[in-house]
Amino acid sequence: MTCCSSSAPFATPAPPLSFHPLRGRSAPSLTFPSTARAPRSVAARAALSDPFVLEIAEKFEDSLSSSPAAAASPLPLQKLRDSSSQSLLSRRWPSSKDEPFRFTNLSFLKSSVLLPVSSLTTPLDCPIDSPLPHLLSIVNGHVAPSLSRLAALPDDVYVGSVSALPPGPALDRVLAALSDGFADGDLFWDLNGVGAPDMAVVFVPAGVRIVDEPIHVRFCYSEGSEVESKQLAVSSPRVLVVVEKGAEVAIAEEHLGVGESEDRCYWANSVMEILIGEGGKVVHSYVQRQSMNAAHIKWTFARQETSSTYELAEVSTGGRLSRHNLNIQQLGPDTVTELAAFHVSQNNQMQDLHSKIILDHPRGYSRQLHKCIVSHSSGHAVFDGNVRVNRFAQQTDAGQLTRTLLLAPRATANVKPNLQIVANDVKCSHGAAISDLEEDQLFYFQARGIDLKTARDALVFSFGAEVISRIPFEPIKKSVTSQLKHLLTTQ
Amino acid sequence: MTLLTHSSASPSTSLAARSFLRAPPFRAHVAPSTIPSPFRPRLLRLRASPRVKATLTVDSPTTGGASSPNGPPIVLLEVKDLKAVIKESGQEILRGVNLIINEGEIHAIMGKNGSGKSTFSKVLVGHPDYEVTEGSVSFKGQNLLDMEPEERSHVGLFMSFQSPVEIPGVSNFDFLLMAFNARRRNKGLPPVEPLEFYSLVTPKVAALNMNPKFLDRNVNEGFSGGEKKRNEILQLAVLEAELAILDEIDSGLDVDALQDVAKAVNGLLTPNNSVLMITHYLRLLEYINPNYVHIMEDGIIIKTGDVSLAKQLEKEGYRGISVS
Repeated sequence: MTCCSSSAPFATPAPPLSFHPLRGRSAPSLTFPSTARAPRSVAARAALSDPFVLEIAEKFEDSLSSSPAAAASPLPLQKLRDSSSQSLLSRRWPSSKDEPFRFTNLSFLKSSVLLPVSSLTTPLDCPIDSPLPHLLSIVNGHVAPSLSRLAALPDDVYVGSVSALPPGPALDRVLAALSDGFADGDLFWDLNGVGAPDMAVVFVPAGVRIVDEPIHVRFCYSEGSEVESKQLAVSSPRVLVVVEKGAEVAIAEEHLGVGESEDRCYWANSVMEILIGEGGKVVHSYVQRQSMNAAHIKWTFARQETSSTYELAEVSTGGRLSRHNLNIQQLGPDTVTELAAFHVSQNNQMQDLHSKIILDHPRGYSRQLHKCIVSHSSGHAVFDGNVRVNRFAQQTDAGQLTRTLLLAPRATANVKPNLQIVANDVKCSHGAAISDLEEDQLFYFQARGIDLKTARDALVFSFGAEVISRIPFEPIKKSVTSQLKHLLTTQ
Repeated sequence: MTLLTHSSASPSTSLAARSFLRAPPFRAHVAPSTIPSPFRPRLLRLRASPRVKATLTVDSPTTGGASSPNGPPIVLLEVKDLKAVIKESGQEILRGVNLIINEGEIHAIMGKNGSGKSTFSKVLVGHPDYEVTEGSVSFKGQNLLDMEPEERSHVGLFMSFQSPVEIPGVSNFDFLLMAFNARRRNKGLPPVEPLEFYSLVTPKVAALNMNPKFLDRNVNEGFSGGEKKRNEILQLAVLEAELAILDEIDSGLDVDALQDVAKAVNGLLTPNNSVLMITHYLRLLEYINPNYVHIMEDGIIIKTGDVSLAKQLEKEGYRGISVS
């Protein structure tokens, strides 16, 4: 294990020019006249854009315009599509030459025929139940009110589709949040914006607390193809969470295939945007257990105002290709951010976490723990954790630790913990460890009569327990625990 | 061999035997036998030796009273000419260790740092860092060297680690239950349920003056030196081994903790189980009285005596106890 830490006397302010080392190899961004609105109208400019990307965007457009709801798209959704299609023009399909995708092979997506999930073809026969009292179901990107259970929420809280959001402060807030844009987005962020057929909104007004019983946000994917078909049904679920001043909300996010899609091929390209007002708090758990043949690409973008708290516990075990882009931005001082992730990468699986915490204000506190198990020779783990402590983020306390267990020969992990510190009065540390199980620990079990396999299973499971224990919702914790026990012992 | 020659002695010679023991106990333990080992225990049982019986009556708080004066001695562990090297470097650490431990006996091995004491105990339990190059070890008549570490535990061998490793994420309770049920499974018994096990383990925790919360903590994680040692003895108490090898169980303990640990060890002694202690200090031997004290130097046992040897050592140091 290597560990290094920087504190005030040793922190060398980075020259402003070296500020974007991650983007060093990406193409210079292109600017387009603001008249460019929909992909079709700019087809003439295709020479500057990536034809493959445009093709996907056009497919999304077609599928959305053919759906009956398209004519009456609510304003926020129209805004989102417009801005996304505009910025999509300058996006290329990423290759391994682009730093953020240096180790993440996207050929699975590129070699497949991408088919946007047609319209609202919700198979209502699949049982979707939740152990939690508040349930918001999103099926193939559409909010499914018939599969949701939201009656017990306080009256002034809004949880549901943006299309049903009445005019008022909540809608204004949603529109304002969307107009801020997101400078750090990538192709997949924009593709989601273009392809999102609906947008779920969780609006918690000032002072309201939904803490003890979290809102279970269930992303279900019901359309999928056989593995041999080389087709991927693409869905683009989008969620916006707005937590006003002093409000608190607990969110249990879960991604899974339902019905026949439990082991089918599909691509979920989701985005969750979270805005936390002054003194607000969001406790977020995120469980990804999609089909082992599916692709899962997700953005989580959280903005934190003064004295707000964001806690995320993430467990990702599903998907052939799973990538989480996590971006936390500080909008005011005294924020608290605690991130924990546990990934399991088995046969032919890629688990990738790219995180960025950007601190621009004083006295921010952040902790990040990333743990990953690669249990098969063809498994692959990627972690790129960036913490940026900018000039005015004095007295920041930021810690980061990544630990990976490689349990099979040729199992691969690429980890890149990185701190960029400009402020000169901060406490920052990071550490990375990649190893097999400790011989000493295994022997300790054996010496007490426990056979090697049981010992390995116990140690492997306990490795993830540190993260799982941070899921604050007992029923979710239990189901994740039993799923992982099954997953890690049946190899 | 000497063990076998006293078979005709009457059991009533207990007193005489005791004084006999004080004279030259050394020979009793240099006993490379010509009899094939599977037969040895049975023969020993048939031909009781007063000397071994005598060892059971030595003033130890537990063994003396508990043992039946007529019980035939049974060899528990027999180590013959054991040589072992460090696997990685090939460096020879054990250069021909001979030792016999009978049921109900308490032995202590003392020696300078680096003399091979800890290596000896690790080799006995099958630590993967070492490789046995020569010699044999039989435990209850079975060849120990052929067994995996977990099998050695199942047949009744236990070693308390000098510095037990931390196992984050596994609670002490789960670990003990896992070990306990592994032992039961090996015996063909059904596993016990956590609740049942809890009532079984709580008195043992209390006997060691340990906080019951101890069970919820992760194995050795953040434990103080004393807590780690107590935890090792707790595991011994749960697993009820026939031969407990206590590797420097006294190191890093304050007086109170040492008394607790010693009391617990004494409480676990029965006429049938044995203890092999490895220590640097006489102090431990004052709490847990050994029948035999062995001095190890440079990978062999150079001298065997009773507790007076340890006293002499305390006074004169290792220089006073040279083979010459």
